[in-house]
Amino acid sequence: MRIGIDLGSREIKLVFYNGKDFIEMKKYETVEFYKRFGKKGKKGIRIDLVDFHSFLENVPIEILKNYDKLVITGYGRNNLNIENAEIISEINAHVKGARYQTGLSSFTLTDLGGQDSKVIFVKEGYVVDFIMNDKCAAGGGRYLDNMARILGITLDKLGEYYKNPVQINSTCATFGESEMLGKLMEGYKVEELCAGINEAVFNRIFPIMNRFESDKLILCGGVAKNGAIKKMIELNTGREVIVPRYPQFNGAIGCVVDF
Amino acid sequence: MGKIGFTTTIPIEVIFASGNIPLDLNNIFINDKDSMSLVRNAEIKGFPRNMCGWIKGLYAVAKKHKIKEVIAVTQGDCSNTYALMEILQMDGVKIIPFAYPYNRDKDLLRLQINKLRKTFKVKERDVIESKKRLDKIREKVHRIDRMTWEDNLVSGFENHLYLVSTSDMNGDPKKFEKDIDNFISSLRKRRPNNVEVRLGFIGVPPIFTNLYEFIEAKGGRVVFNETQRQFAMPYRTDDIVEQYRLYTYPYGIFGRIRDIEEQVRIREIHGLIHYVQAFCYRQLEDLIIRSKENKIPILTLEGDHPIELDARSKIRIEGFIEMLKNKNKRNN
Repeated sequence: MRIGIDLGSREIKLVFYNGKDFIEMKKYETVEFYKRFGKKGKKGIRIDLVDFHSFLENVPIEILKNYDKLVITGYGRNNLNIENAEIISEINAHVKGARYQTGLSSFTLTDLGGQDSKVIFVKEGYVVDFIMNDKCAAGGGRYLDNMARILGITLDKLGEYYKNPVQINSTCATFGESEMLGKLMEGYKVEELCAGINEAVFNRIFPIMNRFESDKLILCGGVAKNGAIKKMIELNTGREVIVPRYPQFNGAIGCVVDF
Repeated sequence: MGKIGFTTTIPIEVIFASGNIPLDLNNIFINDKDSMSLVRNAEIKGFPRNMCGWIKGLYAVAKKHKIKEVIAVTQGDCSNTYALMEILQMDGVKIIPFAYPYNRDKDLLRLQINKLRKTFKVKERDVIESKKRLDKIREKVHRIDRMTWEDNLVSGFENHLYLVSTSDMNGDPKKFEKDIDNFISSLRKRRPNNVEVRLGFIGVPPIFTNLYEFIEAKGGRVVFNETQRQFAMPYRTDDIVEQYRLYTYPYGIFGRIRDIEEQVRIREIHGLIHYVQAFCYRQLEDLIIRSKENKIPILTLEGDHPIELDARSKIRIEGFIEMLKNKNKRNN
């Protein structure tokens, strides 16, 4: 059994892979994960996998004690101390995951997570170049989370609208809140506000995606589930956007598959 | 003999010839044991949060060391320097402006150097003598630079440190030369460090405190520090005007790109890290560098405060080095 863990800024993703199938995929809220399972040790935060058992459904406790391989990627991976864990970079994990999930070897992969946005250009299985956002999480999944909360709608609902977008200035997860309230007071329809929110995220990522010429566009991360953003990318590039079956687990999948 | 601060590299030959001590405020700021508190002090004074960390550091360090006179580079560096000199002036510091002409005009540059010379009441022949003495030290630093990329005996940080220190010779050329001699002789005991990934560092010197160390821990090494090398005046000439005309840093991006391309080729560099300071106009130049210098991958790294690399920057550097390692494997 191989275990893959992607330590995201918003959620921790775990996959259990028996070499053929994924027997379990689980997400855990990042802050809760560290608060509940993390213990401060000499070499950073120590995690005991056995503590996880109550939270898993299909994984027997023996596997947590005796697995073949444990691979970790993601933010903060270098501070995490789990016995016998192998650590790989996010770029590597995401490329492997995308190759496994799509069967493609040349593509531009865009991963839109809670705070991170990465665009990776892959040719014949090799990373040719990549761009990652720096410092600021504006226009990431966290922004969408906040905006959906303010509008009192689900993320799925938010992701439905792309027509007649309201012009939004700030994609800052914090400042965006007051701007959204202002727009509501001006009397815009929720559909237009949603489209504006989605367009704001699209406007952040499109110039980065545009740096690489590629026929195949793969979209991963939680934001890939937002249909409106996918649609906007397709309309502006004239190319189809491929969203793999498990966009949020792509990094964790890349930890355990062979490529 | 007084301390003369300056905001970026100026013809220090003139200052040494006058018997004064030139101090590169950037170097004193970044080498301060608590450089972060200097930034905070400037913010307490009222410097905005969204303003270059170096400018804040320069201000606070001038105050901390009670510098009475500052040479401010008003052309050839950033426009924040204007306001910085006005604030310092308001605080009673004497400001001496120095401008590098945008188009590298020889006559205008000569005029600037002569004006500086007259301000400090120095004869031309004393400046020539001062240049000869400093060039001897610079040559030794050029040797350290060569031993970095050719012999692989010097770390990226050591290269950075010795090159960057030539901007003011640490205020004491004699002592600095002795340090260099000791360092060069200590290299005899070292074995070459032939790393997998050879990196070039371009842009202003980094504000991060552990950048080079982190790069080396991940299997890379900086074998070219662009601006720091320029501070050490890499082009040999007996004419001081020509020397500061060939110096690329204050004259726009295209001359810099020619220098970068040449060094990438000579030093067999696999990838470039373009460092940009948060809130700096030079971030715009990244666009030009990316469109002109497209032969090798470039990672743009942004820094704000004089602290260790944040987790996000680490992830990006790590991914970049890993990508270059794989690329090298494929090419071999």
